[in-house]
Amino acid sequence: MTDPTPQTRPADETAHPITRPGAEVHLGVFFQGVNHTTIWSDPESGSQTDFASFERVARTAERGLFDAFFLGEGLRLRESRGRLHDLDVVGRPDAITQLAALAAVTERIGLVATQNTTYNDPVDLARRLASLDVLSGGRAAWNVVTTDNAWTGENFRRGGYLDHARRYDRAEQVLATARRIWDAWPDADRPDGSVARVEAHGDLLDVAIDPTTPRSPQGHPVIFQAGDSAQGRDFAARSADVIFSRHGSVLADALEFAADIRARAVAAGRPEDDVKIFPGTAIVVGDTPAEAEEKARWVARQQVTPATALHVVGTIWAEDLSGYDPDGPLPAHDPVVAELGGEGGSSTTGARTHEVAARWRALAEAEGLSIRDLVIRVSGERGFVGTPSAVADRLVRFVRTGSVDGFNISPWIIPSGLDDIVDRVVPELQERGAYRTAYTGTTLREHLGLRAPLTRRGAGAADAREAALAGV
Amino acid sequence: MSGARLARTVRHAENAGLTFVTFADAVVPAVPGSPASARLDAVTRAAFVARTTTAVGLVPEVPTTYPEPFHVATQLASLDLTASGRAGWLASVTPGDAAPAAYGRAPVADLDREARDVVQVVRDLWDSWEDDAVVRDVATGRYVDRDRIHRVDFVGASFSVVGPLITPRPPQGQPVVLARSGDVAGPGRDGERLVDVVLVGGTDVAAARAAARAVVAADPGARAVVEVQVVLDAAGRTGADRLAELDAAGPWAPGTALRHVGDPAGLLALLAELADDPAVAGVRLLAASLDTDLPVLAREVLPALRADRRTAAPRSGATLRDHLGLTRPADRFAGAARATA
Ligand SMILES: Cc1cc2nc3c(=O)[nH]c(=O)nc-3n(C[C@H](O)[C@H](O)[C@H](O)COP(=O)(O)O)c2cc1C
Repeated sequence: MTDPTPQTRPADETAHPITRPGAEVHLGVFFQGVNHTTIWSDPESGSQTDFASFERVARTAERGLFDAFFLGEGLRLRESRGRLHDLDVVGRPDAITQLAALAAVTERIGLVATQNTTYNDPVDLARRLASLDVLSGGRAAWNVVTTDNAWTGENFRRGGYLDHARRYDRAEQVLATARRIWDAWPDADRPDGSVARVEAHGDLLDVAIDPTTPRSPQGHPVIFQAGDSAQGRDFAARSADVIFSRHGSVLADALEFAADIRARAVAAGRPEDDVKIFPGTAIVVGDTPAEAEEKARWVARQQVTPATALHVVGTIWAEDLSGYDPDGPLPAHDPVVAELGGEGGSSTTGARTHEVAARWRALAEAEGLSIRDLVIRVSGERGFVGTPSAVADRLVRFVRTGSVDGFNISPWIIPSGLDDIVDRVVPELQERGAYRTAYTGTTLREHLGLRAPLTRRGAGAADAREAALAGV
Repeated sequence: MSGARLARTVRHAENAGLTFVTFADAVVPAVPGSPASARLDAVTRAAFVARTTTAVGLVPEVPTTYPEPFHVATQLASLDLTASGRAGWLASVTPGDAAPAAYGRAPVADLDREARDVVQVVRDLWDSWEDDAVVRDVATGRYVDRDRIHRVDFVGASFSVVGPLITPRPPQGQPVVLARSGDVAGPGRDGERLVDVVLVGGTDVAAARAAARAVVAADPGARAVVEVQVVLDAAGRTGADRLAELDAAGPWAPGTALRHVGDPAGLLALLAELADDPAVAGVRLLAASLDTDLPVLAREVLPALRADRRTAAPRSGATLRDHLGLTRPADRFAGAARATA
């Protein structure tokens, strides 16, 4: 994601107290990064579509005892100014279909499908996720997202029917309905041996079904949530098991986010550690600090090609700047459009262009940056850069200060991008007693150390059950 | 219902030399409220065995009525990618009120039109990326050539889809589309063939052969496959006894398909009679129980068919289209004047 705010360097991280001395680091991998994270131009970069690439990354992660392998979702190809965006990796398989194939060639790693609640039918979602969960022996998860723009809706029967303010109401109703479908199968809770009929009639959905999917070994698929608004955070605090966040590069920021999520979880009647936090991040390691820095600079320049640099600036200026020199200065004129709309699946929706432009201009002038240097400078936070030992120290500190439970790593190159982390960082973590040395469970719920699904916690869980079923 | 069991069954089917396996599906159960109606999603099951097999075609049933066509196209393209060109789609139709209630929609009134629209837009979407759309042009920084990725701008009776698909064109270009005779009545836009393989029935061999001939007469490029229900003498019991037991729990597999109940030799004779008609491209064997019938088919039926050159085991590396003698279609958008996408 391009963050219009210039990145801040980590302050003195050692100042924060260790509150969870024995806590372990958990890792996941996100395939493939959003926007220009994934470098496709390097000779090392393999196919982004061949199953072999997915299999290699998933198996590497499993060798590294990762909790989970994630796939993202985007239901319409990104556009800019009405034309297909052609500079980044584009084109991917359906997540659940791909994860089902991966389930057969892996044994332990969790399989997380990002699936949107606006343009999916609850019965299809619940059934497909449950199918993946059963076939994988309890390793499935659903990363709930709410992308609701009408532009994406043009690929679906209902079109853009949902008001942005209500995206999480629909998410809540869809998730609650899915949980009821997953709870319908007979077990200790339903000893009469029949399958419960599910009738859910909310104002944003209408479902009446006799479910057909048996219960999985982990009860329900694990629920992740990704979405950073206040509504998104509340939704996660009420209904999710894990948050896939954007707050994991600057410790103070991560701590603030964690405190906010804990407070929201407690307000929702849950134990404060009930929602795990997994920020997305990237890791670059080298033999020496200088080598790691050099490599990080190289990665950034591969990610931000000259064309990408002009595109990113052109997005804020809302015009085609491809004639500009990427190694030259920003355009002398100000953006013509004051606020950006949400077309094209852009991450800059609502950006106030004059403010961003003024900030960028000041930064470029202060540091003498070209367009390309500037885009590299403002392209989000760069994650963890250093020797394997220094990176491991920082990862452990993030976890043991209670700011996160683990990290969801986006490799910058596919399919070899995880090798360094598994071969060099994981052993450092293990040496510090901060990482598992073997899988101890078989399900994703066990890997993550989660409690039972929210609707299945016995008598004491009445509140949680109600919260999780809110809205239907 | 476990993954291991599913993988074993499909591996046995592949080893037996079957050309393709179908994964039946329905979102609403045959017997509501009964755990005996347990069933996992067909595309997910097919995908699970995509990498545990190398040659056999994988054909999930996905209804044209109610699921989102855009998702259907994405899922089947993904299956074809994962299975290296071995995917098919059994496009079915869902009448009744139970499915629309599950989806919270009014029942579709014109099932024929809906089926035609859905198969058409799925085919359009599969072609929305030309085969060579990914150019990875380092000099200009372009990963794809946007002129080779096209909107479909489909407008049907009950929905519209702009496209393009989020998934590149699958290995077969178009995964093989199968449908029961009459379920998806083509042709599509500009006379396009919507169904590659038509499944036909018939109360006797003559009727089945006639049905197959009708398919080929209407469209010489289509393939006719005869459905044959099979209850074999197996596991120390006669087929007739096994069928009686199945029928006791409600009539087994009602319908107009051909049926063979009895010994493998009788089935071989029936299949030979069918195969003697050039209009019959193949048979879809609907076994009463895979656990019971598949071992007999593998041991006593398929080897004899292969010996007579009436079938050949699928080759790994070949596509389902290859095995069915269907050519890989050109992309409908290739070279088209620049679309907006
Ligand atoms: C780290 C992270 C990863 C995400 N990945 C996806 C994705 O792959 N697909 C998607 O549609 N939305 C994704 N989103 C979620 C959408 O951004 C989110 O659902 C949408 O912006 C609305 O939620 P919000 O307003 O609460 O942010 C992701 C969000 C975060 C924080």
